[in-house]
Amino acid sequence: MKKVFIILSISSVLFACNSSNENITTIAPNTYKFERNGESTVSFPGQTSRIRMGDELAKAFLKPTEEDISSLAGKFSHEAGENNFKESNLNLSSKNIRSKVAASTDLFSSNTTDSQAIKADFDSWIIGQVNNVFPYWNNNASKGVAGQLQEAGGGPVRWVNAKGLEYDQAFVKGLIGALMTDQILNNYLSKAVLDAGTNITDNNGDVLVSGKNYTNMEHKWDEAFGYMYGNEPNIESPILNVDSYLNKYLNRVEGDADFKGIADDIYNAFKLGRAAIVAKDYITRDDQIAILKEKISEIIGIRAVYYLQVAKATLANDKGTAFHDLSEGFGFIYSLQFTNNPNTNMPYFSKSEVDNFINTLMKEDGFWSVTNKTLDDMATAISAKFNFTLEQAGS
Amino acid sequence: MFKKIFPVIITLFILSSCSSTEEENPVLKDSFDRKGMLTNIADNIIIPAYEDFSSKMALLKTEGNAFIDNPNIANLESLRNSWLTAYKSWQHIEMYNIGKANEILYKFHINIYPVTVTDIDDNIKNGSYDLNSANNHDAQGFPALDYLLFGLDNSDSKIIEKYTIDTNKENFKKYLYDVIAQMSSLTNIVVTDFKEQRNVFVNNTVNTLSGSVNQLVNDYIFYYEKGLRANKIGIPSGIFSSTPLPQKVEAFYNNTVSKELTLEALSAVQNLFEGKHFGKNTKGLGFNDYLITLNRNDLATSISNQFTIAKTAIEKLNNSFSIQINSDNVAMTKAYDELQKNVVLMKVDMIQTFNISVDYVDADGD
Repeated sequence: MKKVFIILSISSVLFACNSSNENITTIAPNTYKFERNGESTVSFPGQTSRIRMGDELAKAFLKPTEEDISSLAGKFSHEAGENNFKESNLNLSSKNIRSKVAASTDLFSSNTTDSQAIKADFDSWIIGQVNNVFPYWNNNASKGVAGQLQEAGGGPVRWVNAKGLEYDQAFVKGLIGALMTDQILNNYLSKAVLDAGTNITDNNGDVLVSGKNYTNMEHKWDEAFGYMYGNEPNIESPILNVDSYLNKYLNRVEGDADFKGIADDIYNAFKLGRAAIVAKDYITRDDQIAILKEKISEIIGIRAVYYLQVAKATLANDKGTAFHDLSEGFGFIYSLQFTNNPNTNMPYFSKSEVDNFINTLMKEDGFWSVTNKTLDDMATAISAKFNFTLEQAGS
Repeated sequence: MFKKIFPVIITLFILSSCSSTEEENPVLKDSFDRKGMLTNIADNIIIPAYEDFSSKMALLKTEGNAFIDNPNIANLESLRNSWLTAYKSWQHIEMYNIGKANEILYKFHINIYPVTVTDIDDNIKNGSYDLNSANNHDAQGFPALDYLLFGLDNSDSKIIEKYTIDTNKENFKKYLYDVIAQMSSLTNIVVTDFKEQRNVFVNNTVNTLSGSVNQLVNDYIFYYEKGLRANKIGIPSGIFSSTPLPQKVEAFYNNTVSKELTLEALSAVQNLFEGKHFGKNTKGLGFNDYLITLNRNDLATSISNQFTIAKTAIEKLNNSFSIQINSDNVAMTKAYDELQKNVVLMKVDMIQTFNISVDYVDADGD
């Protein structure tokens, strides 16, 4: 932590000296705590609401006697006042998940075709679960037949479609890309959003959003932060693993010895970037954006490779375990199209590359017919585009 | 994991290639007699343990048939005794996941607990089931027999009635028969296969993931960590959950032998570590000798001592772990802690000394 801080401080000093702007250097604060006139300026209730809506939706996928297409779709496309959720304050919320799926400014503001197609994928997974899995809930699955598969050795029961895919895993892991990652990297950390309109001059002049205690730029940054930490009980010391989405898998990647430290890297970049906005130091801010783009994209890439690799060990004689891993992998692979490579400012994988991966996994009998070689080839192709090796991610 | 081991491999590789004249074949080698150790383990530990278990299974089958032919208290008692004898013998072989045992998921058919009672009840009610399906791993093996012989009702006479006057009595008998037959036939497959593969096993001394020593050590540590430490003590005492789960102890329905089975398992892992011959006091080459050859006499001693300390902690527990958990769970978690200390010594220190990488991944838990 200290080392990063020193390097960042030095680089921001150098940059600041080189530039003709006033010499501003941002001091990294201890935690994500920012105040103006004694009141917090940090706010992201919409992100927290969507994460919690997503958590209810994830659980609802596994309730065949309680849920149907309209109740699941209601949790996905909630409208204020509808009783879609058990948590009553979510029912009052004007937010919903679906409108923010594949909805970032950078990737989708002029690409509604892809955005609509992606939203339709999520709709299709809800419909598939209700029409193609719920009716066969108590049947045993086999090639071409939906139903339940128990993980070997008395493990958990999984419910799969005729190709072995768990729709709930596709949906939830897909949302990690299409909602959280897309909104953070391609929307709120995008210059088109952070610097939109008069944001820079407003921020420089401490012009606050009407009726609020924050500048527009500060708030956009907090909204990015909120998609990662929005369900944390205390954002000044995140404990991680507090939702089913990006926060959980940051914790998983942090738990891999090969990637230990990534949780600090991401938290530190969020708080230093936020402090840089307060200090009007946009060079330091942009350095943090680059770090966040790389590290958050890595979470997706690492987990995609991880599940493809671990599935090989059980594919031959423990279909329940293997298909669960592959279903998670399916969702993370789907999410790759929402990553952002800071060097190109484009996703590490295009939509068509991702579609190819997905089609390869689902061709013929899907997971029932996939081979170890296919999984290896795919994992190799994915890790090749990132700064980690197949071995690091696959263990 | 890989990162840490990688520099070690590089270093060893450089050292060995510097000293070796056979540059065309830079195989990692240490001076330890791997083949000698594998031979001792195969001939004096694994095969005798397999044979012991086979004979105990044969007796269990005989007693099972006698009970099915004539379900009475005396035959129930004999069957229960042969169940316990076989169950104890099983503790010596659960850790070997080699060849067919690995391929057919042998241990999943023999000792997955807790059983899922609704699965067993449904199978008996329906009269048709596939014991080869993963869906039924938790409805067969010793834990299913535990339920069928001790848990069907709360008195012996009521249990007998399931097999004598219950409307489903034929299905009860059939299920009992089928569970034992499944255990017996899978055991024959595994034991026959290992004996056939014995020469391949002892000669496969390479230090790669597929080498015998690597597989054996990985199986061993995985078993110690999961099968022994977690399943027998950690999970029921609530180490991995918010509350203790006493219904998850091994042999829950018998409810008096969980300690006995655990002590048996612990002596099995210590015996393999020390190369001690099955059922005898003589010793041959074991993991401890390998450590000593690699100048880690200290580690070999620490691990052996820690086994003894863990044994002492377990011996203090109630014969029934579920009773122990309900009365004083701290004693359980203390025993767990002593077992855990050897996980660290073996999974980190021993495995690095052997220059072996761990080939299993921890479950994701979702």
